[in-house]
Amino acid sequence: MNEAAPVSLLERRGATRTLDAHVTGCAISRDSQQVAFVTGKGDIIVAPRADWGQADAWQVTTVHDGAVLSVAADAAPGGFLTGGDDNTLRRIAADGTVSELVRGRRWVEHVATWASPKDATKGGVIAFVAGRQVELRDASGETTLKTLDHPSTVSGITFDAKGKRIAASHYNGATMWFVHAKVDTPRQLEWKGSHIGVVIHPEGEALVTSMQESELHGWRLSDGHNMRMSGYPAKVASMAFTRNGKWLVTSGADVVVMWPFFGGGPMGKAPAELGGVPGVICTRVATHPVHDIVAAGFADGTVLLADTTAQKILPVCTAGGGPISALAFSDDGCALAFGTEEGRIAIVDLSAR
Amino acid sequence: MSDATQASPDTDRLVPVTVLTGFLGAGKTTLLNHILTAEHGRKYAVVVNEFGELGVDNDLVVDADEEVFEMNNGCICCTVRGDLIRILGNLMKRRGKFDGIIVETTGLADPAPVAQTFFVDEDVRGKTRLDAVVTVVDAYNVLQTLNESPEAVNQIAFADVIILNKTDLVDEVALATIESRIRAINGVARLHRAQRGDVPLSDVLDQGGFDLQRALQQAPRFLEESEHHHEEDVTSMSFVVEEPLDGAKFQAWIGALLQEKGADILRAKGILNYAGESQRFAFQAVHMMADGGFIGPWKKGEKPESRLVFIGRNLNRPQLRRGFESCRAK
Repeated sequence: MNEAAPVSLLERRGATRTLDAHVTGCAISRDSQQVAFVTGKGDIIVAPRADWGQADAWQVTTVHDGAVLSVAADAAPGGFLTGGDDNTLRRIAADGTVSELVRGRRWVEHVATWASPKDATKGGVIAFVAGRQVELRDASGETTLKTLDHPSTVSGITFDAKGKRIAASHYNGATMWFVHAKVDTPRQLEWKGSHIGVVIHPEGEALVTSMQESELHGWRLSDGHNMRMSGYPAKVASMAFTRNGKWLVTSGADVVVMWPFFGGGPMGKAPAELGGVPGVICTRVATHPVHDIVAAGFADGTVLLADTTAQKILPVCTAGGGPISALAFSDDGCALAFGTEEGRIAIVDLSAR
Repeated sequence: MSDATQASPDTDRLVPVTVLTGFLGAGKTTLLNHILTAEHGRKYAVVVNEFGELGVDNDLVVDADEEVFEMNNGCICCTVRGDLIRILGNLMKRRGKFDGIIVETTGLADPAPVAQTFFVDEDVRGKTRLDAVVTVVDAYNVLQTLNESPEAVNQIAFADVIILNKTDLVDEVALATIESRIRAINGVARLHRAQRGDVPLSDVLDQGGFDLQRALQQAPRFLEESEHHHEEDVTSMSFVVEEPLDGAKFQAWIGALLQEKGADILRAKGILNYAGESQRFAFQAVHMMADGGFIGPWKKGEKPESRLVFIGRNLNRPQLRRGFESCRAK
């Protein structure tokens, strides 16, 4: 650091607030007009775009009787879906109305949605996890399309970029399903061990899971070829492909680890390392939807932005406020939101001024 | 900077987890309800795995599947409860809503994967601590169960606390036989008699069964050598070396022993006197997973000698004694 530390991006372009709860997730609506944070106390905090700079105006609503375990932008242009340890899936509409979509017998640990990037009002799909089952519903949330069974509890789900397939991670591998198939012929991707999260390459070239043993496992989808990506000091709790699929950006080390998915990689290639905090584990990553930019959050509360091409680092905020537990970019790339285990929530406005 | 997040968590901050095992019908759920409804002013989260005939009387009950998997860490017996890693991680996000967690296992469950989960997973270790394995035993059926089921033997062998329940259904002579049979398997656990699970909470909660500070706090109670049930599949053995040990030699010996015999050694505990060290060294292991550390000076009036206890199958007493004695400092 130089003698006078530059004012951080958060101070210049952001707003922050501290809650008395563990921030368990954050999401930004598909129309990029609302940011939502969810907590271990069952609350959702919603910030409309006009109030991004005024943290005291963000609205707190209790949505679950217990912890909110998952949050996703609704399949509709506005609003959110949340899953809780009260075994319910709820919708918070753009106008703030809360409704209960599902009340089951298991925690709703994961929620994912897909909507056409061209027209978010048509053909959207909602997916959520309850135990070993993934249930798919139409965008209304009222009609079940299908229920997908797995051999053990599902630890993560993700749609592919086109919304045609959904993948679920579980013990001994991952399963890919066609969302709209009349007859289900799931593709089993097998690898012994406990898989605890899943991502799909934006062009559908590969599927990668995070594993209990602090490593990644991947399958090249064209031929099922196995890939192993190891060397992490901690479990990889967060991973994301860059918009063009060139890099898989991951947490789990005291630098941001990026695996190359070009030029024959990641097989036989060393990962690139982008900045970091010595001795402090990266806990969350997010990739920008428009530019070659990565956001990373660390166990000491540090958040930084990095340019994957120029390897330039821009600090968003320095240490403090607890380990980063939630991090997201808006679909239009204008907002970065993050939250911490100790209740700090923040929104940074990245739009051109 | 680096110590800001890497500092080892102090045990007071960690939420205690009690594991409740025992055969179907032994009275686990009765004991559980007794704990939950007692006037202690504490709140518990309960993780249950089977819907027994009795309901669990608590606000926060999590229904789980016992999902065991084998770690790919080259350790053949390292099985872990993946569902617990997930559930404990999520429960800890509630923060401040409860004082402890009680995990009830199915009747046939092996306690090892539960215990190993606390050795293996960094997130679980960072927020919770395994307090004790409590095994409920039905006095009326236990002798038959032990003859028929290796799982029941494992549950007793693994226990820090054994609740001998339904003692009103058998007479004193039978109870003595039962207790000596249990002691032959596990000479370290605290054994309490009960009827309908009516034990004081201080006998079940806050036992520090995996706390190095409290390792072998209670002197093991073993039967005399001659009284041993030699047909017993699982046994306890304790060893004492009065002369100071060479720390490096001990580490090398115990490391090799656990590597070779870890599948047979269910639990091991020790308090050791290293030559040239004023502090006691505590050691414990569950199968091949071990941990150890210095736990402060010897207490006043305490004899600085090294004690080691093994609970397991196929334990070779002369071999273990020779091995332990070979760790003496020259």
